[in-house]
Order: sequence, then structure tokens, then C-alpha cells
Amino acid sequence: MNDREFIVGSIVLTVAFLLYWFMGHPHFVEERILQFSLVIIFSGTLIFFTRKAKRGEEIFLRNIPGLKAVEEAVGRSTEMGKPVLFVPGIQDMDQVETVAGVIVLGHVSKMTARYETPLNVPVSRAIVMKAAREACKESYLIEGHPDMFHDDMVHYVTDEQFAYAAGVNGIMVREKPAACIYMGKFYAESLILAETGNSIGAIQIAGTASQAQIPFFVTACDYTLIGEEFFAASAYLSEKPELIGGVKGQDMIKMGIVIFILFGVILRLMFDAGFLNFNIIQFLSQK
Amino acid sequence: MIWKRQIPILIVGVIGFVTLFANFTTLHGFKSFVNDDATQWFDILASFAIWLGGLNLLKLQSQKILKKQEGWEYSVFAVIGLIFALVAGFVIKGEPAVEWGTHVTAKGTLFKWMFTYMVAPMQATMFALLAFYVASASYRAFRIRNFEATLLLVSGIIIMIGRVPLGSNISSWFCMYLLVLIAGVTVNSIFKNKQYTAISVASGLILVTVSGFIMGWPLDQPGIFYLPYLQEWIYKFPNVAGARSIMIGIGLGIFSTSVRYILGIEKSYIGE
Amino acid sequence: MDFLINTILKLGKVDRRWIFLIIAFVVLIPLLFPLSLPIRATATTQLVYDAVEKLPHGSKVLLSCEYGPSTKPEIHPMVISFLKHCFRNGHKVYVTCLWPDGQFLADEALDEVANNEFQLTYGIDYVMLGFRPGNEAVVKGIVSDLRKVYTIDSRGTKITEIPMMDGITKFEDFDFLFSGSAGYPGTIEWVQYAVDQTNIPMSTGTTSIQVNEVMPYVQAGQVQGILAGMPGAAEYENLIGSPGIGTSGMDAQSVAHLVIVLFIVLGNLGYFIERNREKKQRGY
Repeated sequence: MNDREFIVGSIVLTVAFLLYWFMGHPHFVEERILQFSLVIIFSGTLIFFTRKAKRGEEIFLRNIPGLKAVEEAVGRSTEMGKPVLFVPGIQDMDQVETVAGVIVLGHVSKMTARYETPLNVPVSRAIVMKAAREACKESYLIEGHPDMFHDDMVHYVTDEQFAYAAGVNGIMVREKPAACIYMGKFYAESLILAETGNSIGAIQIAGTASQAQIPFFVTACDYTLIGEEFFAASAYLSEKPELIGGVKGQDMIKMGIVIFILFGVILRLMFDAGFLNFNIIQFLSQK
Repeated sequence: MIWKRQIPILIVGVIGFVTLFANFTTLHGFKSFVNDDATQWFDILASFAIWLGGLNLLKLQSQKILKKQEGWEYSVFAVIGLIFALVAGFVIKGEPAVEWGTHVTAKGTLFKWMFTYMVAPMQATMFALLAFYVASASYRAFRIRNFEATLLLVSGIIIMIGRVPLGSNISSWFCMYLLVLIAGVTVNSIFKNKQYTAISVASGLILVTVSGFIMGWPLDQPGIFYLPYLQEWIYKFPNVAGARSIMIGIGLGIFSTSVRYILGIEKSYIGE
Repeated sequence: MDFLINTILKLGKVDRRWIFLIIAFVVLIPLLFPLSLPIRATATTQLVYDAVEKLPHGSKVLLSCEYGPSTKPEIHPMVISFLKHCFRNGHKVYVTCLWPDGQFLADEALDEVANNEFQLTYGIDYVMLGFRPGNEAVVKGIVSDLRKVYTIDSRGTKITEIPMMDGITKFEDFDFLFSGSAGYPGTIEWVQYAVDQTNIPMSTGTTSIQVNEVMPYVQAGQVQGILAGMPGAAEYENLIGSPGIGTSGMDAQSVAHLVIVLFIVLGNLGYFIERNREKKQRGY
């Protein structure tokens, strides 16, 4: 789809929605019009920057040490002749963080295929096992080492949180991987995994959007991807323009939110001081 | 080729759109599909998929036992545990009067015994490891390397002590005396002059003591030096501000990743 | 002085197993020889207490148990105290679980409080609806049509045959919600999918680590107070005048926190001494 088609398509959809709205918007939850508009605006911003990046525009991505360190970690494992341990979190594929973790696994497995380093991926859910296996298989195929891939590289341990932590700890202590990469959704077992990894002298890189676990990873791991850095990992590692454009779009949306927060604070201040009759909090609290 | 590329992208796109826009419609069918049916489909898939996982586990552990690989003795426990759980869940109830299904939580059943005397103690033990690991991680990691690390350390100490009954029994006046001493150490390290240090410490001590006598040495006043109030302030304001900003970032990250999937921009799940 | 400095430096490099041993003693000794430190309720705990006290006699309270054996020491005392508080005030309690483990522990709590302490009748004073899989879909289901999610209770009895289920068809038929939550799904899902849509008042008790995530909702008024970990449980026990396992654990937690702070201070002293020595050696 070229730019002209995209613009024409957007205009047609906007006019269609406006017509639908003014015709009484049947079956639409009116109270959520603000939410709906924001979804459309945010998605539009993402698409705009994605297309811009695809057209060849140079987009600056700041250096994320944790992601740069992934290749170093795999290299270190290759030199030491030890495996790489990858933990894609303890939740199922219905969590976006697990999906993001499996995406990063795809990139890491490309590196392990390239350097012919053993890879061990213990998982906590059977569906994640299947998805992770497919990701690894594709990576090894792309790198031209399909013979190096075997199904048992990605293996199921257990669904139970602490039994899984115990199982992974056992793998760490027995196999002594040189690199431990934790990417996904974690809970209380995060510190247990990270401390055990620290005790075996492995280089540890963690990435999670689980707010409560970020401090534990920051304390015990060498590198940590915090919050959206983890979601940007896919763009960063693949260097695909459309994904990098998406990250820029995300940043633009965030800038818009910051401006809106400041504007909202000023509006609320003016309402409290009696200069304005418009209560922004009430407007935003509509269900 | 169409089965490996176009069809998966179409499925992801359609389901994604339906799930997203069902939130904005009053049509009962859509909402029912998204809120009930889709989730139940996933639960059914996950429940059957567990057999895949279980068989994979059994296969790997059995291979270890048969080939007598390193640590094969532990694999025996893994296999026995798997079989025991299956037996307790599907074969032996242990309490004939109880119905299948409710036997999982009913008193006197084998499954309930397994949960109470095996699963619960083991889970509690693993979680208890955190207490030790937190201590060793804090000891290793909390170093005053720069201003931010110092701030982190000080707020961590305030919250750790202020959160527990010990903290609420420490008078704010004790904290004030401690601050006077810390201020004295700081003055000494900056000016390296014993006179200045002595004057600053002495005047601080006199000021605190006189204020204490005037106010009658209340335990929790001045509130700014009372650890429980201080920790509550840290929780409610700087902490919530930081938590909210990370939440916004994470929310945007999730939104952006999801939109990339729905629009077919992110295709790593099919190996591209 | 040199001896002291060298000792501090040695302690800075101590094997982590010595730290584990010291922590073990420091937690064990106060459990065996309690210090009975007085407990003062914080503002967030007081909010929870006041929210329950405000409820009119005979209110229908939904209690949701989302915790397991690992987080039992933190959440279980809260659930027990909450049950005591509710039954003392004559409220009807409906128990649901978003975690499978939660059902076992909820049963234990009901046994201890409803059966042994208050001698209440199942089906009239309290009911255990049980666990249903589906995470937030269960919450959404309870909001829209509870009887679609629960056709039978945890004992296999049909919902239609339970007297206190009369008139209960959806979340809005309850007067209050308390969520004892240790993670996902839990408090946040209840706020997002139930409380925000219906304005039914809600309080929560969570593990200490989760307080960070939930505090924005407490500050915004969407959740009325929070029992923060074992200290929160102890404070709540103190407010209802019924000290239990939460209170007994506080001495151990207090001393353990103090010891960890001492370790940190010691570690930093060793760090500074080493840094100064290195500077002197380099001639700065």
C-alpha cells in the first residue's frame, strides 16, 4: 500500500465513522468514545512512523546495554564451551510479555545457531513449549544449521511456580551455563533464579515488565531491560525498519501523553482556582 | 505456503480486531465471544496441551534413567511424583463418599493429603529461600557508589525499618540525633576541620535536646523524622509516581506490541 | 584500629552461607522467645478497617482468595481476620477463588473461623463458591452473570439450592469486595474489570512486594485501603483485637530487617575502607 492509498483509506474510514456516529451510532458504547479515539490515534501514530521507517528514514535508537550484551553473552558461552540458558517467563502465551520473550528467544537462538553454542530453554507451559520450539527451529533453519536443532532443546518442566524455579535452579547448578537470559513475565521466583545464576558466575541478562520483579533483577543481574525496553528488544535485535519505526511511534505517543498530563494538571489547577468550569478528572473518568 | 504464512496472519488479525473492538460495542454476541468463549477455548487448549508437556517431561526423565546419565537418581523422583499426582487425581480417591471433582479439595482424600503434606510445605520452603537471598543480594548490591545509589539505600533503610513494629517504636528524636551525627561526619569530610565539626555537632545536639524538652519528647513528632510516617510518604508519593510512570511505559509497550501483531507488522511467530 | 578495619574488610567478603545462617537464627529466635513489640496501625490499614465497619449489618460480602501456600504467611492472617471482622458484624460471606491453591486455603480459613470459632451454618451465613479457571474472564463473568460462571458450589451443591444465593446474580448484588491477592490474577483484575465498572467498594490485602503496583489504585480511591504484607495483617489483627499468626511473625520480621540493615551498613563500611585504601595506593 503506498502513501496515497493509505491517506485515502484513512480519510474514507474517518468519514464512514463520522457518518455512523451522526446516524446515532447504534451498538456503540458511547461512554468509551474517548478510549476508542485514543486507540485509533495511537494506532495511527504507530502506523505512520512504521511506514516512515520502511521508506528508509534513519531512526535513532539509543543504546540499550542489555541488548548489546546478549551477543556478548552468547559469545562468552561459546568460548567457555558452556550452554546458554534462556527462561521465557512463567506465564502462558496469552500474556504479551511471554510473546515478547519468545520473540527475543528467536533472536538469541539465531546467535546460538551461528556460533554453534548449546541452548537450553526450560519452559513452564506446554503451549509456550510449542511456540518456543517453532521459534528456535525457524532460527536454526535461517542460520543454515537445521541439524543442530533438536526438540529437547526446549523442554517442559512444570506449571507450578516454585517447582519450576527449583527445576531451573537444578539445571543451573548442574550444567553451569555461562549465560542466563530471563525474558518474560516473572513473579517471586525471579530472585531465586537470579541469585542462583549469580552464584554459578554466569552473565545474566533479564527483561520483564513485571514491575515488582524489576528491582530484584536489577540487583542480581548484570543487565536488566526495564518495562518498555523489553518490548523494544524485538526491534533492536532484528533491526527491521518497520519495528524500529514502531518504537519511535511509541515514543511519540509517550511524548503526547506527557504533554497531555502537563496540560491536564494546568486545567485542573484552573478548575480548582475557579477560573474554569471544566473538570478534566470527571471528563476522563467516564466509563 | 499459504497455510504457514497468510492463514496464521489472518487468524491473528481477525481475532485481534474482534477482541479489541468488542470492548466498544453493545452487541451481545461479540462480547460473549470475547469475555466467555475465547477464554474458554484458550483454557481448553491449555488443558489439553498439558499432556504434551507432561509427556515431554516423562520422555526426558525416562531417557535419563534408562541411559543412567548424570543425576538419573533424581529423575526417578520426578517420574514417581508425576505418576503419584496422576493417581491421586484420577485413580485413587481415598474417600469413597466424595464425588469425583470435589475430591480435589474434600477432607480425607489422597489429593488433599498430597496438597497439604507435600505441595504446600515444598512451596513454602522455596518461597522462604527468598528471605535468605534478599539478605545476601542486599548485602552485595547496596553500595553507595553515587547519589542515586545513596538515595536508594537511604529510602530502602527507612522503609525496611519503618514498615515493622520496631520502626514505630523508634522515637523521631533518636533519628534526629542520628542525623546530627551524620551531618557532623559530612562536615568533617568536606572541611577536614575539627573545630567546624565540633561546633556543628554540638550545636545540633543542643538544638535537638532543647526542642525535645520544649515539645515533651513525643514519640511520633516531628512527623518528618518518624520512620513510619516517612515510609508512608515515600510509598505514597515518590514510589507511586515512579510506579505510575513505569505502568504507563509498560502499558504503551503492551499496546504497541499487540497492535504490531494485529496489523501483521510483527511476524516472528511464523519465523519472519 | 587496624584490627577493626581488617575485621570489617573480612566481613565485607564473607561467604553468603554465613549470612544465610545468621538470618536463620535471627528469624528463629524471636519466634521462640517473642518480644511482643507494640503494633500501630498505618493509615492504609485503618482505611480497610473503616470500610468494613461502615457496612450495614447483614451486608453481602464477596471474599476472593488469590494466594497459595508460599504466600500463606502474609495473606492467610488477613483472610482470617477479615472473616472474623465480617462474622462479628453479622455479614454474609461469599468466597470465590481465582487461584486453584486459593480454594484449599480458603477452606482452611473458613473451617477455623466459621466452623470452629463462630459455629456458623454453611449456605446461610457463608458459602464457598470455589475456584474457576479463566483468570480475568472469571471476574468479567461474575460481573455480567455470576450464575453462568458458578452453577454449583465447591461441594457440588447447585447454586439454586443454597439459601443465601437468592438474589445474587451478578457482582452488583454484593455490597463489598475483599481480595486477598498474591499476584495475577488478583487485585488489579478486580479493580479493572469489576470495581471500576460497578462502583462496588473494595479493599485488598496483598504481599509486601505487590503494594507498589496496587498503591496507585489506593491513592486514586478505587481501592479503599490496603493491608500491606505481614505487617498489614498484624495491624489489622490488632485493630479487630484478635492477634494471630500475623502478629507473632512481626517480632521475627522486625529483627530480620534490622539485621539486614546492619549487613548493608557493614558492607558499605568495608566498601569505603577499600576505596580509600586504593586511592592512597594510587597516591591521590
